[in-house]
Order: sequence, then structure tokens, then C-alpha cells
Amino acid sequence: MVRRDEASAPFFDALARGELTVRRCSDCAELAAPQSRACPVCSATAHEWTVVEGSGVLVSWTVRRDRGGEILAVGGIVELTEGPWLRARLAIEPCRLSAGLPVTVLIERRDGEEPVPVFTL
Amino acid sequence: MAGSAIAGLGVTDVGKVYGRTARDFAADAVRRACADAGLRTSELDGLLVTPGLSPGLDVSLIVDLGVRELKLLTEIGGDGTSVCAAVSSAAMAIDAGLATTVACVFADAPLRRGTSAGAAFEPGEPPAGFEGLLGDAGLASVHSRFALAAHRHMETFGTTSEQLGAIAVAQRQWAAGNPLAQQREPITLADHQNSRLIADPLRLLDCCLVSNGGAAVIVTSAARAASLAQPPVHVLGFAQSHPVHREHRGSGFGLVSGAAEAGRLAMRMAGTGIGDVDIAELYDCFTIAVLLTLEDYGFCGKGEGGPFAEEGNLMPGRGRVAVNTGGGQLSGCYLWGMTPLVEAVIQARGTGGDRQAARNEVIVVSGNGGAFDHHSTLVLGPDRRGGP
Repeated sequence: MVRRDEASAPFFDALARGELTVRRCSDCAELAAPQSRACPVCSATAHEWTVVEGSGVLVSWTVRRDRGGEILAVGGIVELTEGPWLRARLAIEPCRLSAGLPVTVLIERRDGEEPVPVFTL
Repeated sequence: MAGSAIAGLGVTDVGKVYGRTARDFAADAVRRACADAGLRTSELDGLLVTPGLSPGLDVSLIVDLGVRELKLLTEIGGDGTSVCAAVSSAAMAIDAGLATTVACVFADAPLRRGTSAGAAFEPGEPPAGFEGLLGDAGLASVHSRFALAAHRHMETFGTTSEQLGAIAVAQRQWAAGNPLAQQREPITLADHQNSRLIADPLRLLDCCLVSNGGAAVIVTSAARAASLAQPPVHVLGFAQSHPVHREHRGSGFGLVSGAAEAGRLAMRMAGTGIGDVDIAELYDCFTIAVLLTLEDYGFCGKGEGGPFAEEGNLMPGRGRVAVNTGGGQLSGCYLWGMTPLVEAVIQARGTGGDRQAARNEVIVVSGNGGAFDHHSTLVLGPDRRGGP
């Protein structure tokens, strides 16, 4: 079950509004992946959340399987058009995955838990 | 730091050994290492404890060893880099005069009767927040993190699963000559390709074993080591590198690791070059870790690790450098950073039996932590008394 904590609350609130957000450094305006705790360029901690387009390309991926080979989850690294990487669930057949594949976000709403960004073709 | 040497080596029973805690294995390993060096445990004045997954192994190990007082005692938690870090910390402490005789120990007991080996490394209940999102996407486990790195290397350089398989096959061939190895039956590339997918592209035979057990080494001054029971194994150089790959366009994740910088610095301290290395004992939690470390240390070019393995350079007796001569963590045993270090000490002493490498003048040992987040390197050399 996907739950929020203090650091992720603004990210999940934005998803609930239908927006995918990343961190933008208040000092140098560099964008960073949502889970960053400091700006990877200038190390400042002050930040805002900025809405991104929700499109990008696949960098890498993997498929979790059970002992019988059944697929449990497909997940990967998406490089957003704006630059930051998101590690996220993929709703794409594993045989269609390759580096550079254009993908776009879809916000999956679930009962009783936080919304989840899922990338699809 | 040419003034220190490894004077003792102790390895417990390793594998599916049940009914003993990590602390039990650790005390046993330290006693064995002292006995190997010709020392009583009461002669230790330093102890560096490197725990694994199991709880309970910490500085309280001191009370199990029959020592009166230590001048150096701490726990080093650097994941797969802990053991190389412990040996280098011991060497620095000895150089600074803090201690004279330091035991470095690793032990773990994650295997339980009746449960699968992989279960020991499954993440527990996912935490809240971003880490929980990773779990939801199937990306939280250590297998998945290395699988992402492997796929990136494959897509960037054309590395193939068969090339990763060549690493597993070669290491099993080395393990056949190691009486301490858990898996000694030869495997073929077809066996690798037919083994089940754990996290694409990594298959079962791309993954290390899981072991219960412990190992320890005794570090002392080279001068003192010369008067003890075993030929000293000299600590010639060491370094660490912990590059933070920004999760952003241009990231080197999966393409380059801390091995590049740690290897360069450790070689410089040792006053040697990668071309002089005879033996490489590389941390191999997954086949991709061997491949990336070979490239980053410079045994082959960047992106050429796949063809390097495929051409048979890792097979016993074939390559210019002998790699993972005991079978490594893939086929030997999984004692984190101790697996490569134990084999390095054996090779430096020339007691490798059927698997002894032809030359052992310069031996490099690596430690990996996280998914290529942390790296440590040791450079070791044999005793040269009577040599040139």
C-alpha cells in the first residue's frame, strides 16, 4: 500500500490534483527528482514543487517475477523531458521495452491509498 | 601504507550451517584467525566488527574473545565496502600507533531452515513515501536495483545476457578447484540461459549465493607479521569512492561505479599500475558487478566488459589477470567483502592448490555497496622474503 510521509505529501497532493511534480531548488532553480533531500547541484534544501509535462523516455527497466515466472511488477527509470529521473511502475508489455522508448504518465487512483504515477506508451 | 600486513586468516564452516548466530560465527572466525597467526586472542588490542543482515553482531563481541582491554573497537557499516574499509582502517590505526594487532571480522546468519535463500534479501513491509513507491513498482529489492543497472549497461554498450553468463560459467570453473566453495558442479552457458529470471535481465545464475558463516583477518605491522606463524600478506594500497549519481539526464548509473576512482587511488598508493595486477578478487553480488568493476579498474575498456568475458578471459588459466579464483560470491560463498579478501590472502600465500594463480605479485580486492553506490579497493602483495 502506497502511503505518504511528510516529505512526499506535496507530491501526492499534486498527483491527487492530476499533476506530476518534481523539486525545483529555491536557490539555483535546478530541477531534481522528487525524493531528493538537497539540491544535487548547489546542496540547498529550500525548494518548491513544479509541475512537469509528464512525458519522457525510458532509461532502464526490470520485471519482478515469482518463482513460477509470473510477472509481479514492471518498473523502470523514466527520464522526464525536463531532465529528472523517476523510478516508477510501467504499464507496458515487457517485450516492447527498450532504452529511449517515449512514455507518458498516467495517474492511477486507488481506493484507500495514495495515487501512483504509472508510465505507459 | 606499506607498513601493515595480514598475518592471520580464519574462516568458519560456511553455507547452510544452522543453529549459530552471527556473533557465534564472528567469535569463531576471530579465534581461528588468531590461531592461524600463532596468536592468542588475548594478544589482540583492536577489533573491527563488520556486520551483515543478522542482528546482534556489534561491539559486544569483545566479551566473547577472552581479551582484557582493547585500544580500538568499533563497528564499520559500509555495506559491501565494510571489509576493505576495516582492513584499511586497521592499517591506519597501526600506522598511527593506536593499536598493534587488529582483528577485522565479518559474520552473518541470514539463512533459516526451510526458507529460500532469496527470502533473506527480500525487502520487508514497504515504508511510507517515495521508498514505498519504489516497492510498488517492484524496484525496492537489491535484485531490481542491480537489474536496472544491468539493463542500462546492455542498452548502452550492447552487453548481452550471454556475456553475463560467461562470468558465471568461468567462476563456477574456478570454484571446482576450491574445496571451500559451496557450488562446484560445472555449469554451461545453456544452464545460465535456462535458469529462471529473478529480475530481468538477471537470472538465478547471475545472483550470488546466500551463506551463513564468518571470516576474520588479523592485521599487524609488517615487521611483527614477519615473526608470526604465516608469511605476511602486505597491505600495499587502499582507497574508497562513493560517487552520487544524480537521478537526472546524464547520470552514469549502471555505466560507471566508484571502482574507477577508488581503483586509481589505491593503485597510486601501492605504487603500481593496473597492468601489473596478477589477480583480481572482485565483489560479485551479481555478474554485472564483476563486469562493471573490470571496466572501471581498467582491465578492459569502458563498455568492453561483455566481449572481455565472452572471449574467455575469466576462465581459469586463460586471461592475463586471474579473476575470482575461488568462485567468488556467485559460486564460492557469500561473506560479503570477506569472500574476495579470504581468497586474496590464500592466493597471496600461494596456498590455492589446484586453483593457485601462476603469478601473485599484485592482488586487487574490491568491495561494492548499495547498487554501485559505494566502492572500496585494497591492493595486497605476497611476502617477498627470499624473492627478488
